[in-house]
Parts: sequence; structure tokens; C-alpha cells
Amino acid sequence: MKKAFFLLVVVLISTFMLAQVKEVIFWHSYSTTSGEYKLLTEEIIPEFEREHSNIKITEVQVPYDEMRRRLIVSTAAAQYPDVMRMDIIWVPQFADIGVLLPVDEEFPKDFQQIKDDFLTGPLATNYWKGHYYGVPLDTNTRVLLWNREMFEESGLTAPPTNMEEFIKYIKILTKDTDGDGQIDQWGFADTGFGPWNSMPWIYSFGGQILDPTNSKAEGYINAPESVEALKTFKDLYNQGYIAPIGGGGIGVLEGYAEGIYAMTFDGPWSWSIIKGQYPDSEINYSLIPAGKGGSKSVVGGEDIVIFNSTKYKEEAWEFVKFLTSKDVQLKFATVGQMPILNGLLDEPEIKEHPFFPVYLKQLETAVPRSPHPAWNEINDILDSAWQNAVIGGVEAQDALDNAAYEIEEILNDYR
Amino acid sequence: MTREKRRKLVGLLFVLPGLISYLAWTLYPIIKSFIMSLYKWNINPNIPNKFIGLENYTQLFQDPKFYAALKNTIFYTLITVPGQMVFGFLVALLLNRKMKGQTLFRLLYYLPVITSWVIVSILFQYLFAARGGLVNFLLKDLLHMIQKDVPWLSNPKTAMIPIYTLGIWKGIGWSMLIFLAGLQGIPKQLYEAASLDGANSWQTTTKITLPLMVPTIMFELVMLTIGGFNVFLSVYVMTGGGPMGSTEVLSSYMFKEAFDYFHFGYGSAISVIFFIIVFTIAQIQRKLLAKRSLY
Repeated sequence: MKKAFFLLVVVLISTFMLAQVKEVIFWHSYSTTSGEYKLLTEEIIPEFEREHSNIKITEVQVPYDEMRRRLIVSTAAAQYPDVMRMDIIWVPQFADIGVLLPVDEEFPKDFQQIKDDFLTGPLATNYWKGHYYGVPLDTNTRVLLWNREMFEESGLTAPPTNMEEFIKYIKILTKDTDGDGQIDQWGFADTGFGPWNSMPWIYSFGGQILDPTNSKAEGYINAPESVEALKTFKDLYNQGYIAPIGGGGIGVLEGYAEGIYAMTFDGPWSWSIIKGQYPDSEINYSLIPAGKGGSKSVVGGEDIVIFNSTKYKEEAWEFVKFLTSKDVQLKFATVGQMPILNGLLDEPEIKEHPFFPVYLKQLETAVPRSPHPAWNEINDILDSAWQNAVIGGVEAQDALDNAAYEIEEILNDYR
Repeated sequence: MTREKRRKLVGLLFVLPGLISYLAWTLYPIIKSFIMSLYKWNINPNIPNKFIGLENYTQLFQDPKFYAALKNTIFYTLITVPGQMVFGFLVALLLNRKMKGQTLFRLLYYLPVITSWVIVSILFQYLFAARGGLVNFLLKDLLHMIQKDVPWLSNPKTAMIPIYTLGIWKGIGWSMLIFLAGLQGIPKQLYEAASLDGANSWQTTTKITLPLMVPTIMFELVMLTIGGFNVFLSVYVMTGGGPMGSTEVLSSYMFKEAFDYFHFGYGSAISVIFFIIVFTIAQIQRKLLAKRSLY
């Protein structure tokens, strides 16, 4: 009897204490073996909790591959975390089904500042129908990787800076090295046909996917510039200058390190992937070659969102602000996460970094994949359009006219 | 309580766990899917769903992607089911003989069955890689059957081949095991009598083994057909339905519509049609099974 009474008191006291501390649940998919995860759990969260003694952050790690399924299940059951680090392309989709907090409306004062401080490309990924549903947490983009050794063997010294040079170099660098009639060295290689891969081509050629308000495809994705980009890619591919895409087996980065592919476009993770397998290889980064549209790349990365079911809006927002503060962003930069704030190029953590300066420079002009709830569908339509043209033999104009028509049908549902 | 009643109650208690899980995990989802397929379903429970009747179905029947996926699924079943059965039967015949290391071989053939689909799919991606893949090496450099490396997975014309091959390879072990059980159920006396009558091994196989194996064959046919229609992970991992939708199957298309595009109503409509097809085929096969069992 005594024991039971004692137990009851303990339970009561602990629930009382828990009630005092506000628990903010934070979902993310930092790999538990990564430096980012170590930094987050051992330094950043403890520091935040020291500064805010009434808030407890409970971080929940979910592997990226499982995150989407987990999120869909929680949506169906209306059981959300408070804060979540989410792939940028999911934000409009989850905003559209009404589960995310419009942070610009909720915290207008802070948001005014955010608009000045944050890189515009990554910030734009949070926008849907008049509101921002999150803020960027980290970012990335694709830049040109070029293999110096292969360049020198072909008598080239510097990376291409414009499209004419780029196309010329691709042709020069493609060879049949052992003379068996089969090409075994390519000027350019890529991992797929989707917008993540094709957008640097489309936008650098001066093309576009949707209009600036993301409500029209006709006249944008099938504009002459967009068609020209696809046509150029298609011709290069069909003439054998671009390595076959999607065959499985040897990856583009491995091929780059082994001297099979002279150039590719890739994100900042390329460094650790290449160095992990080929520690001695030299990696050279350069801006995407500029065409009529300038040097344009595609924005990737993660945003941080608050679910509108949260009991602790203010506390969650404190945590978001903390994670996106300059100090924390610079700390994350030391473990390889690209910061999302303007004007960090002069900070020593960035300046001395082997490749962040190129990426941050590229980010100044990089374009987000159109923030739209139906982006997954649009993505697949564009992917098929490129495939139809490049490997299916359809004319570039026809493929993109068809894509414009299909995308228009989808956009219709959201107007 | 009478003895009879108590017996019934005990019986009910025994089937209860199975019954509950059947109701919760099989029957309820089927009914729920059907209901969802009549709505423009929003996954957020706080937003009301819009009832649209049979609109998802009318859209589905005009959707070329659905027919492409259906065709791919049917071809997959038509190719992999006989493939698994023929190879499984041959292996079972071999392993049914008395020989050294029998258990080891059975284990070896069964290994692919228990290995994760994701892992073997990645393995097959490497085997069928355009550059440096084992299959291209065998065909080009060793056997000189082809002149140039075949980009198996990136060509719409060949992309299903690795998926078929994987489906057959992974299923042989299961098929073998079932056939083996069937073979060992055939009474030895029949073979003894046949050999006394001077029957050769071809005659014993066609006159004794095959006829007595009919129920096993029919059972495998039903199970493998259902399995064939459910092909998903190998497609999802190896090609994601591409290139150009050439490897899209019903389940991957349903998954894409529901979980990538958030068209839960449309995805449910696909799964309902899918269910009807598989259910019908299984019923037809079961009827055949019931008839042929009476020998």
C-alpha cells in the first residue's frame, strides 16, 4: 500500500514537471552516422535547451526513404511532430493539404527580416498560394565538375564558361580510347532525365518550366529556348557524346573519378562520395556554363516547417530561428551542410572551404524546382518528355508541346 | 454449457486471432479502398473529401498509362509463372534423388527466396549494368553473341528482361520446395510396380509423376499468379517504372498515383480493379483445381 502511494506521488510529480517543460518534437532524416547528426544532438540541441530552459527538443530520426511514408501515415492519423526538416519539394504538397503553418502570417515581424537575410532561391521553395510555409534549413545546387587530367590529355586547360565552349569540349572529350569502335570515354555524363538533371540546361539556355506565378506551362516549357535546350541535349546524346543514362552499374561520380566521364553536374555531396572511394582523386568545381539565360542551376535542399497542429507555436518557431541563425548555420557548414543565408561568403568557414564558394556563387542565380503541390507529377511529365525526345526519337518541339499540354491539365486543378 | 457448445467456443477461440487479423488487414482495407475510390480523397482528415462517384473509374478506363501497366503486369505473370514452375520442377526432380549434399543444395536453391527483394533488385541492377555488368560481359566478351554492350535497363525494349529474370530466379526456390513436397508425397510402391513392369524413366515421369503432381501444379499456378500480379519491389528499385513507363506495373502505378501524387482516390480505384482481376483469375484457377484433383 505504501509502495503504491509512493509510486503515485512519483507519477504525479513527474507529470507536473513535464507540464512545465514544453516538449517540441523534431523530425529529421540526418543519417545517424553523419557529422551533421553528431553536431545536432551533441552541440546544437543542448545549446538551445540551455538557452531556453522551458523547452525540450525531442529529435526523432527517420531515414529519408521512410520519411515520406511515415509522414503520410501520420497525416492520415493526424499525428504530427511539431517541427520537421522536410525535402523542399514536399513543402507545397503538404501545405496544399493544409497541415503546415503559414509562418509568414504567424510571425510577420520575423519574416520581414527573413526575406532580407535568406538566399532567395531556397526561400522560394516554401512559397505556395500567397504564403510561406517554412524556411530553408540547408541548401544545395548542381555545379559543373570537370576532370583536369582528362582535359589536359585533350589539350584543354580550363573548364568551359559558356555553352558554345561546353558543347565543343563535350565533343573533344568523347573518345574511343582503345580503338575497338565503341566509345569508352565521354565528355559529359548525368544520372537521369528528370528536371533535377535537365533544369540547368533549360534555364541556362534561357528557357523556363512554368511562368513566374507557377500557374502556366504553355509558352514556357515549350518556348523556343526550352526546345533548343532539349534539342541540343538530344543531338549530343544521340551522337554518342553524352554517356548512356540509366544503365545501372558504374555511377557517374565513380566514372568521373576513374576518368571515364570528363564532366558532369552534381551537388556538394559529390565530394564525400568521390573522396570516400577515391581519396586521392582531384575534384574540380566550376559554374554551370552560361548560355542565353546565364549560368543557371537547380536548387535542392531541405526546409524546416511547423505543423499547424502544434501546441507550441512560439517554442517551435524559436527553435526554427535558432537553427537558421548565422552561428548555427556556420557550424553546420563545417560538417558539410550548405548554409542558406546571404553574405556568408566572407566568413572564414566558407571562404576556406574547398567547394562551398562555387556552390554559393551558383546559388545566387539557381532556380528552385517550381514550388507546386503537384510538382511530383510535373516532374514525371518532364522526365518522360525528355526521355521521349532523347531515347524515344520524338521531336523536341513535339515532346515539350505535349508536356505543356499535360502540365496545363494538372495546373487547372489548382487555379 | 453443453459439450457441443463448448467445443464450438474453443474452436472459435482458436480461429479468432486469424479471423480478427483477416478482418482488420484484409477485408477492411478492401472495403475502405472501394469507398475511397468513389471520392476525391484528401489525406488530411480535417479536410472533407469530395464524393465524385465513379469518376475515378471513368478516368481510369481512358488512361493509357493504366493499360500499359496492366499489359506489363500480365506479361510479367505470363512469363515468370511458367518460368518459375519449369525450373522449379526440374530442380525438384534433381533434388528428389538420393544424393550427397542434398540438404545443402536445397538450402542453396532456397536462399534467393528469403533474401530481401530490395537487395536482389540492386544486385540485378549491377548484373544487367550497361557498362561492366556481368550479363553484358558473358554475352559480349565470353560468348560473342552480341557486338555491343546492351543498355538493358535504359532501353524501353529490354528493360523488362532483367525484371523477368529476377522474378524467375527468385521464385525457383519456392516452387522447388513445393514440388519437392509433392514429389515426396507420391507413394514409392507405384514406382516399384512400374519398374517391375519394365517402365523406363520417361514413362514413370509422364505416367506417374506428372499426373500425381497435378494438384501441386495447380496450387503453384494459383499462388504464383497472385504473386506475379503483385510484382512491385523489383520494378520500384530497378527502374522506378521507367524508361518511358516501359516497366510500369499495376502496383507501381498505384503507388505512384497514391503516394507520390496524393491521388488517393484514383490509386484506390486502381487497387480495386487490380483486386477484381486477381480475384477472378484465382477463382477460375480454383475451379480448375477442384476438378483436376479427382483422379
